[in-house]
Amino acid sequence: MNGRIFEILRMVGIAVALIGLLLVVLSPLIGESITRGSLWWIEPVAYIGSGVFILGALVAFGAIQFNTRRIAEQSGSRTWSQITQDYFDTFAHDMGRPLRRILGKQREARALLNETGEVTQHMVSELLTEIENQAPNFRLMIENVRVLVDLEDADAEPAIEPVDVAAIVRNVSDRYTPIARERGLELVWWCEPSEFGLVYGDGSALDHVITNLVDNATKFAEGHIEIQLTRTENSYLVRVWDDGVGISESHLAHVFDRGWTPELSARSEKQSSGLGLFIASTLSEHCGGELLVESQQSNGASTGEHSTTFTLSLPLDIRPAATN
Amino acid sequence: MTSKSIGGGQKILVVDDEHMSDLMRSVLRRLETDGFKPVVVAPEGEFITGDDYEAQTLFAMETKRPSAVLLDVRFGEYDSDRFKGLSILQKIIDSDGSMPVLMFTQYAHGPYRDTAVTASLSAGGSVDFIDKLASPEEVVLRLRRLIGSTPEAITIGSLFEFDADNAAVYAIDNGRRELIREIQGMKLEILNELASAMYRSEGELVPFSRLERFSEGEDSRASLRVRIRELKVSLGKAVSREFGANELIINVRNRGYRLVNPSD
Repeated sequence: MNGRIFEILRMVGIAVALIGLLLVVLSPLIGESITRGSLWWIEPVAYIGSGVFILGALVAFGAIQFNTRRIAEQSGSRTWSQITQDYFDTFAHDMGRPLRRILGKQREARALLNETGEVTQHMVSELLTEIENQAPNFRLMIENVRVLVDLEDADAEPAIEPVDVAAIVRNVSDRYTPIARERGLELVWWCEPSEFGLVYGDGSALDHVITNLVDNATKFAEGHIEIQLTRTENSYLVRVWDDGVGISESHLAHVFDRGWTPELSARSEKQSSGLGLFIASTLSEHCGGELLVESQQSNGASTGEHSTTFTLSLPLDIRPAATN
Repeated sequence: MTSKSIGGGQKILVVDDEHMSDLMRSVLRRLETDGFKPVVVAPEGEFITGDDYEAQTLFAMETKRPSAVLLDVRFGEYDSDRFKGLSILQKIIDSDGSMPVLMFTQYAHGPYRDTAVTASLSAGGSVDFIDKLASPEEVVLRLRRLIGSTPEAITIGSLFEFDADNAAVYAIDNGRRELIREIQGMKLEILNELASAMYRSEGELVPFSRLERFSEGEDSRASLRVRIRELKVSLGKAVSREFGANELIINVRNRGYRLVNPSD
């Protein structure tokens, strides 16, 4: 329907309502002029006036309502989640800009120092290293917020596409290898079978879950981190193992809670918002899989072997037809 | 493992309006260090829009014949150019479906991803995404994998060179290559597995299951252990060194073996 009609209806409605209102206000005068000396006509004019006012107001209101809904329907292709996503994209871009500049300067400075072989103050090279180390944290933080925004949308479906899981594990491993080395950790990964092939799933979600698990491992490991990719008949498993002190049984139940971290419970200060594992777990479930945690705490009597293992399991094919 | 042999002088077309920024300069420098030839698309003029980049990119594809393209998504601050990179990507794929493209993006999600994913699945096309904040090393590593080039030779630290094509391993001494004759057959196969894994990804471990086919006998694990030890001794002898348990080829927590660059 044409918007012009609603516009006219709205104007007519308002005019009619005004006439009605006028009738009510003027009813004593009009009534008096019609029946000189008698007040008999005052009441009916007032009644008619109120009726006309209500009718006009209803028409105007209806026209406005319909028009608004019509406009909303026309722009229905931009859903709430898309609008939020647009805002977020702008936000992420704007957040990234200052960081890109800082990181750019840092890399230039590092390159210049390497080239000239100049010996600088300890503080300066420490600063450069710190900037370098914080960059991946920042990347992950922006990503985490984005995923949270996406997960708020109840209608969001995983984006299903053919995914090379081994390549994703490799990419995450490569990203964290320098960070692990910096912290004196050895990070290794492998997949069995070696030619892992493609699965159907949400590649960016998978990348994000594994990134959060590995990031978590680099914070708690004492010497070693392992990422293993294996498969069963209809699912694949990504196991992220670290040899950190482990998580006690009472804490284990809360690992995937929003905002929970061992540091928080131990009240020590460390860089973690506790969002990572919550997001990893929520995202895994969103993709039709699950994320489990096991932990062995070291105790004096044992051989000193302690560890935490996160196991992500996802179906090899999450396409709806495949489940039938 | 940085050497001119990795890039082999292959041209990389760089399409990014921020190519003058420090961040991109560090990427360009890294490409050069690794033996690639970056070709920067830089339209001239006063009011340059995404369309100028698009035109010049397609022109450069014809004239420069690059091996891969490094492409940004956002061009300039005009709203209409927010996703210009994706339309440039489409044009690149249309003109050469097999061109490897690495995209700088924070938009690897949402509806805009579809274009890129579809493109990446089209015949022989290979499109990958990377965050702009990624380190130059990560960018080059991804690019290298995307191109799928295998190096003529994989250098192991500054001591050895492994040449898969000629099935040979050399000791390097002051720039001179000396063939290590002792390493052949199964031992060479094992070294091939280990060196390829290291080249693909520094943290990649070769699990026992993959290596055991290069050993025989009832206890294949034990026989593999012997082969690895012999390999290590042969390599050590060639450079008059003795490699310890945590050097060169290491057994990682009984999962498998991993080749690591030896110290000089």
